[in-house]
Amino acid sequence: MLSCKEVAARASALIDGELTLWERAQMRLHLTICKGCSAFIAQMRVTRALTSIPVAPVAADNDARISAILAEAARRL
Amino acid sequence: MTDRGESALVVRLVAGERAAFEALYRRHMAALIRVAMGIVESRAVAEEVAQDTWVAVLQSIGGFEGRSSLASWIFAILINKARSRASRDGRMVSFDAGGEEDNLAAAFDGRGHWKDMPELWDEVTAERIVAGRTVLAQVTLAIDALPAGQRAVLILRGQEGMEAGEVCAALGITEANMRVLLHRARLTVRAHLDGLVRGVG
Repeated sequence: MLSCKEVAARASALIDGELTLWERAQMRLHLTICKGCSAFIAQMRVTRALTSIPVAPVAADNDARISAILAEAARRL
Repeated sequence: MTDRGESALVVRLVAGERAAFEALYRRHMAALIRVAMGIVESRAVAEEVAQDTWVAVLQSIGGFEGRSSLASWIFAILINKARSRASRDGRMVSFDAGGEEDNLAAAFDGRGHWKDMPELWDEVTAERIVAGRTVLAQVTLAIDALPAGQRAVLILRGQEGMEAGEVCAALGITEANMRVLLHRARLTVRAHLDGLVRGVG
């Protein structure tokens, strides 16, 4: 039986689908009887979702910078 | 791999179309600065490196062959520039996952059991965080406090949605190394959010 520590160490591999069938079965077995680890895996799923949201584009007030970049690139060509 | 939309964008960039460049700039600039900040010493230097990256992107866009996505090509340029700037400034930056422990090391007793059991984040509490401090701003805050390698992996793989192989190529690390960095980065962000949930709850 995996320990909680081992389950936590494999959390990302589990939610990213990188475990083998056997490893997954071992994880499931532990998770069915361990509330703490189930909560932990759920938190890691939320964390993965929240860290996979694209950051909003920067505001369109960078005209001067964009012009400077375009001018510099043109100068160096 | 390049999809059709991206090829069209590249064609417009090669043609020197300002609107095309502006869209690209707006989409990636914040992430470029955040990744660079993990590598160089200050925000000012990171901004400089990002500006330089854009100039290099425009200069060499004609040679872009679409073997990787445009984003991963841009970030690879940024990381090269940031690293050489850091080493010029006498800073050693490694993306290696070795050495440092993850933040769960102290969470377990000698038998590998939780000392303090994690509890489900209930939605009500999560909503309160969202309303109070905006959870995404907190996520970004936590990411920006990570060491260079973890930060870069989480921004590129997560927020920029790059393929695993592209992230590895841009950072010059193995896939196994990337997985370790990604896991550790998530653990830290999770701990940050858990602290907020417990604090609010």
